[in-house]
Amino acid sequence: MISRRALELATAVLTGGFGVAVVVSSLDNGIGWSSAGVDAGTFPFLTGIIIVLGSLYNLVRGVLPVASLANVPIAITQVELRRLAGLFVPAAIFVAAIPLVGMYVASAFYVFAVLAIPRHQSVPHALAMAGATALALYVVFERMFQVSLPHGALAAAFGL
Amino acid sequence: MDNLAELLHGFTIAVTAPHLALMAVGVLLGILVGVLPGLGAPNGVSLLLPLTFGMQPVSAIILLSSMYWGALFGGSVTSILFNIPGEPSSVATTFDGYPMARDGRPTTALATAFGSAAFGALVGVILITFLASWVAQVALAFGPAEYFAVYFLAFASFVGMGGAAPIKTVVALAIGFAIAAIGIDTVSGSVRLTMGIDELVKGVSFVVAVMGLFGIGELLVAVEEEFHARAVSSKIDWREVFRAVGRLPRHGVALLRSAAIGCWMGITPGGPTAASFMSYGIARRFSRRGRYFGTGEVEGIISPETADHAAGTSALLPMLSLGIPGSATAAVMMGGLMIWGLNPGPMLFVDSKDFVWGLIASMYVGNIVAVALVLLTVPVFAALMRIPFVVIAPLIVIICVVGAYSVSNSYLDVVMMLGFGVIGYLFKKLFYPLAPLVLAIVIGDKAEDAFRQSMLMSKGSLGIFFANKLVTCLIVAGIALLLLPLVLQLARFWRKPASPAAGATSQEKVII
Repeated sequence: MISRRALELATAVLTGGFGVAVVVSSLDNGIGWSSAGVDAGTFPFLTGIIIVLGSLYNLVRGVLPVASLANVPIAITQVELRRLAGLFVPAAIFVAAIPLVGMYVASAFYVFAVLAIPRHQSVPHALAMAGATALALYVVFERMFQVSLPHGALAAAFGL
Repeated sequence: MDNLAELLHGFTIAVTAPHLALMAVGVLLGILVGVLPGLGAPNGVSLLLPLTFGMQPVSAIILLSSMYWGALFGGSVTSILFNIPGEPSSVATTFDGYPMARDGRPTTALATAFGSAAFGALVGVILITFLASWVAQVALAFGPAEYFAVYFLAFASFVGMGGAAPIKTVVALAIGFAIAAIGIDTVSGSVRLTMGIDELVKGVSFVVAVMGLFGIGELLVAVEEEFHARAVSSKIDWREVFRAVGRLPRHGVALLRSAAIGCWMGITPGGPTAASFMSYGIARRFSRRGRYFGTGEVEGIISPETADHAAGTSALLPMLSLGIPGSATAAVMMGGLMIWGLNPGPMLFVDSKDFVWGLIASMYVGNIVAVALVLLTVPVFAALMRIPFVVIAPLIVIICVVGAYSVSNSYLDVVMMLGFGVIGYLFKKLFYPLAPLVLAIVIGDKAEDAFRQSMLMSKGSLGIFFANKLVTCLIVAGIALLLLPLVLQLARFWRKPASPAAGATSQEKVII
């Protein structure tokens, strides 16, 4: 269970962290005025400062007991969290697998795993859809639009 | 009457067999994403974008804009038949559309919605036909300072009128600016904000950001809730369609008022969602039958639908003539324009006449195609709603992954896309607005360049932003919009000390 407050805080910290990174990184490019006009780092520096200040404001609003936040104490329930993980974790594994086995194999396995393992579809059904997905990707991208999708380290090892 | 001649020329471009076929494909795909919950016009358009890179710009924009019309119509279908808004902008349509359909009048509800939507779109297109080239002509005289002022006004109006918490809007905007700055700086040629990752030199493509923010992010929001689609009958009675459309003129006042609200909200970046809510609220207050709203009132369907489509259409006006998109979908399309090698803004009306007028003409034709197709396919798409979400979700993930990869054949983009997905989910969940974030990613660079060029011209003096009447007006209006939320807050505080932020929570629902 994740409270609305915790989620607000986490997001504010995330945006604030990004802001700090932008500020630090933009200092390398120089800020202020030089012979070439406004230095390259100035604009990012300012946006970074705005992000940090805004995030601080959101952070404080998240900590303070505000009526509108109290109305929705829980942002994500246990069940919802499980559903989220059920979508995101397989998707992340899928993305992580792409460099290794390539887009076609990874997507076919992904579709099969998501459909067959939680028993949403029967195994033959899921197999068929997995095959159809990989085939459709191949036809649309490699053939029709001439976009080469990653074939993966595995295919390279076989010399494909 | 130059415009009419140009428009006729546009029709000769738009009304050709391949373009009509593209319109039909676009509209059907649009209805599909509109009908599927968790996918909307911005997602659909961004998912399709990588496929348009090899096309002629006119064909590409006709495909994308037709998809937009289709999505706007498709969103209403599910709102009315299932009480599930397929699009955020058709949430307000559920209030009266679903009760009417449940009462056994689904055809009336659908026909009323489509009829008024078509009217709203028509008003939007007429507005574009007559105003866009004029606005572009005015904008041709703009220098960098004026451009920066216009961008500033656009950003400020998101803060002042976007409906989200102002500071959250500011943070979203600034993050967009920072993301736009990543990579090679166009003015000095130096590399910025790569944070030690060499591959970031190429910058972060907005397609990657949109795929994650709208594709994965929205999917995560959608998967949280379980959808219980309980359809009312989706049979279409053709005679009732014509009768319902024939009854529309009786509600002329509501139609015109909603179209006006829609156009206003579309040109200023209020967006279709805010427009439909606002129009519904105003209709409930002013209609003689206002107290029956929510039980299946005709005007309760007309008002949000007309405003939704008027806003969706007129959002393309500032995109075409100024290079400032009025909605998230328009921002995505504008990114597409830049990828196809066009320069959105007033020069478009000089350099690419065929493109502009072909697009405008295609809006007239596309909306007719959309109305016809949506009526014909209601039963088919209603049946699609029975496909379980678990089957659709992985397919959307794969489309997003492949789309992000194909932008520049980079695996880093895929990983970033997934990261943007998490950000999109968090932002959506906590009512940070996504439209300003996307807008800033798309035009952040241009705004910065305009600012730096004006600074070069004035040798570092901010006085250039107050040098003539036009630029002063724009800047002052922008500052006023920026301060508007603060003033409202103070006024509320002054009137009712320490009142709970009841307004804030009701407002939070209206965010795109």
